[in-house]
Amino acid sequence: MTSHTTGRSSDSSRYEIRLGGHLEPRWAAWFDGMTLTHADDGSTVLTGSALDQAALHGVLSKVRDLGLPLLAVAQLDP
Amino acid sequence: MGPLLETKLHVPRRHRGLVARPRLLERLDRGTEAALTLVSAPAGFGKTTVLTDWLTSVAAGQRSVAWLSLDQRDNDPAVFWTYLVAALRTAAPEVGAGALALLQSPRASTEAVLATLVNDLSALPDDVVLVLDDYHVVDAPEVQDGMSFLVEHLPAQVHLVAAGRADPALPLARLRARGDLVELRAADLRFTADEAAAYLTVAMGLALTAEDVATLEQRTEGWIAALQLAALSMQGRDDVPGFIAGFAGDDRYVVDFLVEEVLQRQPGHVRTFLLQTSVLSRLTGPLCDAVTGQDGGKAMLEALDRANLFLVPLDGRRRWYRYHHLFADVLRMRLQDERPDVVCGLHRRATEWYERSGDRAEAVHHALAGGDTARAADLVELALPALQKGRQEATMRRWLEALPDEVIRVRPVLSVGYAAALMVSGQVEGVEARLRDAEQWLTATPDRGHDPPAPATEMVVADDAGFHRLPSAISMYRAGQALLSGNVAGTVAHARRALDLAGAEDHLGRGGAAGLLGLAHWSSGDLDTGHRWYADAATSLEKAGHVSDVTGCAIALADIRVGQGRLGEAMTTYERALQLVTPDTGPVLRGAADMHVGIAGVHTEHGDLDAARRHLAASRDLGEHLGLPQNPYRWRVVMARIREAEGDVAAALGLLEEAQRRYVGDYFPEVRPVPALRARVLARHGRWADALAWAQERGLSVDDDPDYLREFEHLTLARALAARSAAEGRARSVSGAVRLLDRLLRAAEEGGRTGSVIDVLVVQAISEQARGDLPAALAALRRALALAEPRGHVRVFTDEGPRVGTLLRAVAAEGAAAGYARRLMAALGNGEDGAPVAEHLVDPLSARELDVLRLLGSDLDGPDIARQLFVSVNTVRTHTKNIYAKLGVTNRRAAVRRGEELDLMPRYRDHPGRAAVSDR
Repeated sequence: MTSHTTGRSSDSSRYEIRLGGHLEPRWAAWFDGMTLTHADDGSTVLTGSALDQAALHGVLSKVRDLGLPLLAVAQLDP
Repeated sequence: MGPLLETKLHVPRRHRGLVARPRLLERLDRGTEAALTLVSAPAGFGKTTVLTDWLTSVAAGQRSVAWLSLDQRDNDPAVFWTYLVAALRTAAPEVGAGALALLQSPRASTEAVLATLVNDLSALPDDVVLVLDDYHVVDAPEVQDGMSFLVEHLPAQVHLVAAGRADPALPLARLRARGDLVELRAADLRFTADEAAAYLTVAMGLALTAEDVATLEQRTEGWIAALQLAALSMQGRDDVPGFIAGFAGDDRYVVDFLVEEVLQRQPGHVRTFLLQTSVLSRLTGPLCDAVTGQDGGKAMLEALDRANLFLVPLDGRRRWYRYHHLFADVLRMRLQDERPDVVCGLHRRATEWYERSGDRAEAVHHALAGGDTARAADLVELALPALQKGRQEATMRRWLEALPDEVIRVRPVLSVGYAAALMVSGQVEGVEARLRDAEQWLTATPDRGHDPPAPATEMVVADDAGFHRLPSAISMYRAGQALLSGNVAGTVAHARRALDLAGAEDHLGRGGAAGLLGLAHWSSGDLDTGHRWYADAATSLEKAGHVSDVTGCAIALADIRVGQGRLGEAMTTYERALQLVTPDTGPVLRGAADMHVGIAGVHTEHGDLDAARRHLAASRDLGEHLGLPQNPYRWRVVMARIREAEGDVAAALGLLEEAQRRYVGDYFPEVRPVPALRARVLARHGRWADALAWAQERGLSVDDDPDYLREFEHLTLARALAARSAAEGRARSVSGAVRLLDRLLRAAEEGGRTGSVIDVLVVQAISEQARGDLPAALAALRRALALAEPRGHVRVFTDEGPRVGTLLRAVAAEGAAAGYARRLMAALGNGEDGAPVAEHLVDPLSARELDVLRLLGSDLDGPDIARQLFVSVNTVRTHTKNIYAKLGVTNRRAAVRRGEELDLMPRYRDHPGRAAVSDR
């Protein structure tokens, strides 16, 4: 992944959330407009910019509620 | 809060097509030996199903079952605990009345509520299982703390089951370590290959080969919701092998794939119904009709229920349902993806329906979800009075925080409501800004309709009556804030303004303002004015119909009377209020228990210990639910005085330590702080060094200026100094105290506080005695006796023990007030003669330590002792360490032996968990 700055406030960051299984792109709106991409290993990567901690936890609880295996969470450009 | 939703307390109906899962049921059975069973797994793992299955498998009569389905709204402590108690009462109607009463009262701590509840539960004859379903939605820290407390203090016959998608913030490691936790997790709940086969072929009646079953089990990884969806997709399908091959070959999110399959097989109108109603968290026929704009919602729900389309019935009458959570999420996503244009309209119609049916909370939820902030703000504004009355500050805060700030700022009623919510939760910051937001509308527009000059937008008001009360309310909140920050002059100024602005019929507003004025004057030591305002407040509150506040006012009025030395009037105040709350017909009202404690306090001061004991017993018999939150600590303070008068100093100190732990503040000035009471006992019984250490910790000095709020502490310091001087024979060390007492005396006389004056004179007498000036000592005592005789004070003299006895003899010999002095000497003699020699320890055990020591003599282990005393294991450990140190031993057996030698053991045999009572 290439990294680039978002220019948002310092509280917010770009995050990448990796899930087990393929989630279709139309779930993007459900995850508040995060981008969904499919990785070759069969996982799905959610990418969102300008997420603060509260928003990040909101996304994670949505992941939990769908019963999707959570593989990794990474901050992209701290 | 509104009426309770019965559906939340209903055990969900058992669904068809269950697979017998004996291994799980056995483990759940084992769980009833432990305090907590945790069922923790993602959505769709059959948590609710296995629990209902287990509950129905248990033979009837073996144990009662309480069920609570939690949702987002339970993140408010007031709501959560009310539902939890209501759930328990479905299983055991005799519990929780006291807890519910406490929940209605302002300023009752969660711990007080739970202690009362635990007390009730421990008296239950039979086992009760309480299931909390969807526990993961509860994330409010106040609720989680309360739950931790409850789990730690749960009586053995109560078992808690928490089911949810995330591990709760409970002390799991500790529970696990002591074998008090049984867990069912995802790995346990997944269908095994055999269970999957039984479910698909037997329960669902599908003709599948072993290979088909294996494929499905692998693709779904035993995820029950996915297997259910797969079974639905296959029912009535011709090409089952084709479906299985397609499913296995697709790597999409299992649920997504399967819901699509299921939806494709539904007729168009069913699909539309499912998508449209997915915005609802609970479904019932008329609500569905309102949202879809169609008829036949009830029939549709019944048809979906029959087709097993992921509907969960919420009651036994097929009126309320919800979709299975996982299914609902996928439906909602599809709705948002396919028809984003209709979502707001659906929420609007749901808002309207809930508004019509009077469920404001759900209406607010849908208005916010549909982005209709103006309507949400209207609804919140109209709901404010009920929320404030029901102490649902957390709900209030959550709603207000969900509204955009610019919406709140143009609504003065909401702005002031926000300020109130902040103040109640102790957040002073931000209060003034909200009050100013509201005020700018009031000053700019004396009457509504005119455009304010400064802000460009229009003011919005939904609650007209609330709007008219704002000028007075704003001043009242400012007065409250000033009082909290100790600014007496500011409190008086704002409260007077609030009173001027309050309408003649606004009794609640007038009562509140008068009460604040009373508090301000009382706090500054002007007792006469304080009493006058408080009496006004009591009258207004009674007019407002708040009879329950009358007892609170009585405590304030009587406390002021005691400060004035007018014991008789204090007694009359308590007795009148007691009559009011214990009517000849009808139930006894809350606060009655407090009145008995107040009366006991006056009897104690009069030296009538028998009457005092009777009233304390009466207070205890009424029960905690008929007492204000402060009663437990006040009860112990009075009992400690009785114990000290009896000569049982260790018990008195133990009671005061307990009082300190159970201390609950109110708005009253703390004119007799518990730690100071304890320091007095220490000073009077040879431990003046400890008392002086307390004084140093409090930053007290003989050079301080008099201040009514520190008067009691200063008098305590002077006592400790006099005791040191007497013990060390150093006259010089008490001269600072004598000067301090002179200043205190003048201040008390100026404030008309005769009660304080008598107290000061007594300490002056023993201080002068300590520095060898007998004439000065006798002069002070004579003045004190002259003031006290008509009022009947006893303990203020006799508490000081033999030193005062010597002086009393001298006064009696002179002939002045001889009769009174002789009566006091007699009281003093009785107390001394009858006193048991409690112990010969240098550092006596506290009452709590004695309790622990007694239990150390039993067979109970640490956790059992903790449970018996309602404390944590750590606390027991600390007590044990202290006991060993004080007894000079290093193990339990030696401690028990030493305790027997000191005659500490048998006296406590009959009173487990309570401060000891010696029988004489």
